Amino acid sequence: MSTNQEITGAEIILQALKDQEVDTIFGYPGGAVLPIYDSIFGQNFLKHVLVRQEAGAVHAAEGYARSSGKVGVLLVTSGPGVTNVVTGLTDALMDSIPVICISGQVPSHLIGTDAFQECDTTGITRPCTKHNYLVKDINKLSETIHEAFEIARSGRPGPVLIDVPKDVQFAKAKYIPKSEVIFKPHRIKSGSSEIDAQFIEKLLEHIQQSKKPVFYVGGGCLNSGPQASHELMKLVQKTNIPVTTTLHGLGCYPGEDPKSLAMLGMHGTYEANLAMNECDLMINIGARFDDRVTGRLDAFSPNSIKFHFDIDQSSINKNVKVDYHTNTDITLSLKAINDHIERRGVNFDQKQFDQWWSQIEEWRGKNSLFYEQGDEVIKPQHAINRLYELTIQKDTFITTEVGQHQMWAAQYYKFSKPNRWITSGGLGTMGFGMPAAIGAQMANPEALVIDIAGEASFLMNIQEIATAVQYKLPIKIFILNNEYMGMVRQWQELLHGSRYSESYVDALPDFKKLAESFNAVGVRAKNLSELDDAINEMISVDRPVIADIWVDKKENCFPMIPSGAAHNEMLLSKYDKEKPENQEKGKVLV
Amino acid sequence: MSNSSVYPTPINAFKQSKRSVLSVIVDNEPGILARIVGLFSGRGYNIEALNVTVVDVESNLSRITIETLGEERVINQIIAQLEKLVPVHSATNLANLKESYEAEICLVKIEFDNEDQDHKILNFADIYRTRTVQKRQHLVVYEISGTSERINKFLDDLTTISGIKVELVRSGPIGLGI
Repeated sequence: MSTNQEITGAEIILQALKDQEVDTIFGYPGGAVLPIYDSIFGQNFLKHVLVRQEAGAVHAAEGYARSSGKVGVLLVTSGPGVTNVVTGLTDALMDSIPVICISGQVPSHLIGTDAFQECDTTGITRPCTKHNYLVKDINKLSETIHEAFEIARSGRPGPVLIDVPKDVQFAKAKYIPKSEVIFKPHRIKSGSSEIDAQFIEKLLEHIQQSKKPVFYVGGGCLNSGPQASHELMKLVQKTNIPVTTTLHGLGCYPGEDPKSLAMLGMHGTYEANLAMNECDLMINIGARFDDRVTGRLDAFSPNSIKFHFDIDQSSINKNVKVDYHTNTDITLSLKAINDHIERRGVNFDQKQFDQWWSQIEEWRGKNSLFYEQGDEVIKPQHAINRLYELTIQKDTFITTEVGQHQMWAAQYYKFSKPNRWITSGGLGTMGFGMPAAIGAQMANPEALVIDIAGEASFLMNIQEIATAVQYKLPIKIFILNNEYMGMVRQWQELLHGSRYSESYVDALPDFKKLAESFNAVGVRAKNLSELDDAINEMISVDRPVIADIWVDKKENCFPMIPSGAAHNEMLLSKYDKEKPENQEKGKVLV
Repeated sequence: MSNSSVYPTPINAFKQSKRSVLSVIVDNEPGILARIVGLFSGRGYNIEALNVTVVDVESNLSRITIETLGEERVINQIIAQLEKLVPVHSATNLANLKESYEAEICLVKIEFDNEDQDHKILNFADIYRTRTVQKRQHLVVYEISGTSERINKFLDDLTTISGIKVELVRSGPIGLGI
């Protein structure tokens, strides 16, 4: 729509969202955004989801974005409205999730006067967004919004905030549609679109010379789109190279496939970490050598040639020095490699890695995800395992909170497709999972969406149950209830002489009654015999459900590479004890 | 590194630290300086000197010159991080250019008591070809420009004259690739 008619800033915002094909917005009203809320009233293209606290809005937008591949959008008021989303924006920045946050600001003439609900929004959010704006000129509003969307989704995606003073929401200007905005390339940072032919040649050369190669796949593969996973699968099938994924890479390669070594890193499998440690060729596809993955840097994969695909130039050589890199989009690069292989008729000797695979099978034989399920008390690993087996036929989206349950979910729930796994990795935000499930359910109304939670994390954004109930979103909260901040307790046990300082969650609510008081459904499993029934009931009810699963209070998450240790210094079970000198070193790390 | 401070010195932070001068072209818009300074403080990089001025009014561009310390790997990371900022057009390490020139300007106010000091000051001023901005009894103000190193040397030489009082301001280095 391009007319000469002048409309208000609030109307411009709505028009721009429509132009950007936004159909859902998460938000919470307040004084400085009332004009925008007035524009939302009585229109029908944009569904507004009223959260119960702004933190819920931003995590919901993240869940929406992760599960749909689209940009998540939220709307909050000035002052506390926007300070409440700082955690979520940081989370989205760390995990490269495209999010647009529109925030109201006090009228321009009051900025700087410590007005009611005023804060320096752009100042506070500058380090936790990919970019942010304070729009003081109504004539720049349309372009700013379109540029913000472009920035949020291009290159390495991330959150962008647009702060709009109230007088600008009332001021009038002509709307400029997206199609008429010319973006300045230096501001968009979209990564290279050119295929690096030399990189590809070198990679294929090294694959053919390699004896022990491994693919190390991260969230960048996910952000590149589902086609990237498809190309990756093709390449893996052709080359017969094992694949390990990071926490965010789960689902980029099917977890049940024999070539998958499952997750690597601090709580990764024995075979994945040992393969990384001993490989002679590492092909990093969209992962960032995070400290949870590398362990002690000077012992990280000491003998490998490293190739790195990353659209973000600053990820190259940041933590680990690599031998070859490309900043081209992963889908384009992988497709070019597959095309190159087909065109040149490159053949891979299917026996080339036989020895490597038999070594890997030997590591696999350690069965590092083994757990002992007794007759009575539910092991948390078993609960996830059963959840997986009972939902395997459905297109299930899993979100998580942060802690032991998150790691168990990553270990025992297998994903066959990308975008089905939504978790807070980089920032590790407790309270992420339930609002993220709300966002994922909004984007995928027919799907089964389950938040695998711990009772402590769940309590952090528990108010959002009301949101799920109001919008009839049948999300499932699957609580592994051990009455502890489990991961904190685990670290205290391993590193602080079992002094469980403040990690016991006392005075817990009765989650079943709690669910009922919110008009949701509560189910409970106190022991093994009740587990399957609880899960089946949870899945079958077409309403929000809180499932309170009582699990072993003392179970720890293994395998584990303690902080400061190397990949080949894993603890496999509670019977493995860390060396005291490592304990001292690990204690000062995170 | 002496470690008498109560604050621990990060291990390896100053290993093979090199002085680098970075030249950054940016859109001149609100908050750009805060973005750059925030990037340095947030990621623990050093800023030794900083200079910002609009250089192209028509295209609304500013040039920011930053003097920083760090290993080559760190400097490369700083450049990559700078280039991720939306308003940044380019970030260049002047040392990586074939040919580049640096200059800095410094104003020095010197207060002295006697003729002996006056002579010595005049002597250095002459050697370094400073410009006299102001001269009164017992006070002189010089302007000296050139590389930072040259200014450092001049200031070092002044310290050999006892009993004088020196106050100064420096622009920090600016630089240009040719």
